[in-house]
Amino acid sequence: MNFANTLGKVIDISHSNLEIASRINAILNIVSGDLLFEEVLVYTLDKDRRLSCRFMNRSSRLFDLLNDYRSHVGEGVVGTVAQKRSPLFFTSRDVPPRLGCLFYAGLDDVLPRYRVFAFLPLADDSFLYGVLLAGSSSKEAISSDEKVVLSILSRELGGILRTYDLLLSSKKQITELATLSELGRILTSTMEPHAILENIALITAKTLNAWFATIKLDLAFIRFDGQRFTSGTIASPMEGQVLDLENEALRLGQPVFRTDARIGEGSSAPPLFLFAVPIVAKDRILGTITLCLKQEEQRDIADDQGDRYLVNMIANYISSGLENVLLTIKLRDALRELGDAQRRLIENEKMRSLGEMMANIAHEIKNPLVVIGGFTKRLAKTARLDENEGRYVDIITKEVARLESILNEILNYVKEAPLLFELCDINNLLDEILYLLASDKTWAHIKITKEYDAHLPFALCDVQQIKQVFINILMNSFEAMRGKGTITVGTEQTTSEEKPFLAVSIKDSGGGISPAVMDNIFNPFFTTKEKGIGLGLAISNKIVTHHGGDIEVKNKPGEGALFVVYLPSQSRTTKEG
Amino acid sequence: MEQIRILLVDDEEHIRLLFKEELEEEGYSIGLASNGFEALEMLKVGEFDLVVLDIKMPGMDGIQTLNEIKKVNKEQRVILCSAYGEFKQDFSSWVSDAYVVKSADMRELKDTIKNVLGV
Repeated sequence: MNFANTLGKVIDISHSNLEIASRINAILNIVSGDLLFEEVLVYTLDKDRRLSCRFMNRSSRLFDLLNDYRSHVGEGVVGTVAQKRSPLFFTSRDVPPRLGCLFYAGLDDVLPRYRVFAFLPLADDSFLYGVLLAGSSSKEAISSDEKVVLSILSRELGGILRTYDLLLSSKKQITELATLSELGRILTSTMEPHAILENIALITAKTLNAWFATIKLDLAFIRFDGQRFTSGTIASPMEGQVLDLENEALRLGQPVFRTDARIGEGSSAPPLFLFAVPIVAKDRILGTITLCLKQEEQRDIADDQGDRYLVNMIANYISSGLENVLLTIKLRDALRELGDAQRRLIENEKMRSLGEMMANIAHEIKNPLVVIGGFTKRLAKTARLDENEGRYVDIITKEVARLESILNEILNYVKEAPLLFELCDINNLLDEILYLLASDKTWAHIKITKEYDAHLPFALCDVQQIKQVFINILMNSFEAMRGKGTITVGTEQTTSEEKPFLAVSIKDSGGGISPAVMDNIFNPFFTTKEKGIGLGLAISNKIVTHHGGDIEVKNKPGEGALFVVYLPSQSRTTKEG
Repeated sequence: MEQIRILLVDDEEHIRLLFKEELEEEGYSIGLASNGFEALEMLKVGEFDLVVLDIKMPGMDGIQTLNEIKKVNKEQRVILCSAYGEFKQDFSSWVSDAYVVKSADMRELKDTIKNVLGV
């Protein structure tokens, strides 16, 4: 036998460009043919440090039997060789039954056929990659030359397996790097936050070949359109299991998994693997990322390696980026609120400066107007005018009077008058006002219903101003009903933020207020009346606000409007005491 | 019978003219001042039964002038007459004997003058 020739072929193949598995299989066939071993098998070391029979020569019969069980390092002959990293050689006389492993029951019948066995470790100086098993039925013994050849072969095979390992792990690392770089790209993109989260779920699911990947945010502090972002479909029977697992991961602050997740009760499908990892930012848990993997991936992930490591890494990697995304949302919310507040402020400021400007203009106009009106009147008195001239002067006088009353309203609106507070019995005040109004004959067809609280406390208020408020509202009601209908005036006690208030309600049957009018009802210079300049309710609102109260308008379209005036109330005994 | 003397204080020339003509028609004797300082000077030299005082004036406004007048002579009768209606509710305007909102319709002012003078 020309061993040099055999080794030459083996080295040629070992250094070829063939697939790793093809290289190993080809070498095993050469060994089988050239050295006359019917069985040439290679065990490899799995990630869980167990040995499984992975490669065989073409004519092997033992492969199927040995492939049934993965032996531990140290278990049986194969395990012993792996543990001691030294070869063992046997003849049929001294080979241990079942190769020293009870689980190989199928070997009982076939093992006696073989006369010699060789077991060699596949290792380099530092790592063990597997075990080579060779068996022959035709040889009486294995010569020392053959042992040397087998030893060289096993070194060569060890080298190929090491390359294989390196290739696998570098492939994995490339995948991981690609995934992380993709995630990084997404996290730093200008995508909308929900699109970012959806994409993270998608990439995670794709990378790990998962049934689904779902990100759930656990953030009360943020307003967000939705809290869950899923790639794939969570079958409805699994929803509960997913939620439970997510909650557990949140509670423990560490990854949790279950291997018995099922799509349905009594389903014949194999159980699925569910894995939930908390997404932890600097000082808080932002949420969870949960994966559902098919059965064949289960082994790796359950063993705290590989994919599980990758999921953890993804969770860590996205946490800071995700926090930024969430802070962006929070910032956006805050900015929007700030913008709203600013708009309101500007609106108020505009109203205020507009008011001041108007007061100045009104004042400047008032004086010349008085002069015009005053001298016109003098003209009317002293000059001899014909009928037309007299009419013209009369018109000027009337228009001046109208302008004056407008200016008076404006000047009254914009200047804040100090309040003259006194204790006031609001029921009495209302009676007084209603008596005055009702005694006018235009009120003849107005029915007034009173619903007073007899024990109403006093209000501390500027009676003249508050009187103006009630008159304004009652006149509005009167005009809304066009002089005919029912006005219901009621009083009651109430509280707002634990402070005592009294509420005066004035309800009319005037058909209500249209929504467009409703929005502007307290705006100065807004009016629906042909006469009037719209300051009545604006002034009323201002007066009540100065009193620390509020006016509420409730509209009942088709029926009427309800105005409720809230004023801070005093205890009934204050005045008497 | 001696004529009743009224001092009109207003920074607007035409208002002074209008009020003067209207009030002279009523039989009053009218003195004119265009600001608070002038008014105080005139009150030093001459006696007036009544001062009709505008509020918004440059330099010393009507309320300040009113206080100065009352400091010198608590009995001096003063009517405030301003375009601003809301000063009626201002405590500081209470020192005056009356308050009239300026208007082309002079009846209110004339009635108030009569009331204050008790004629």
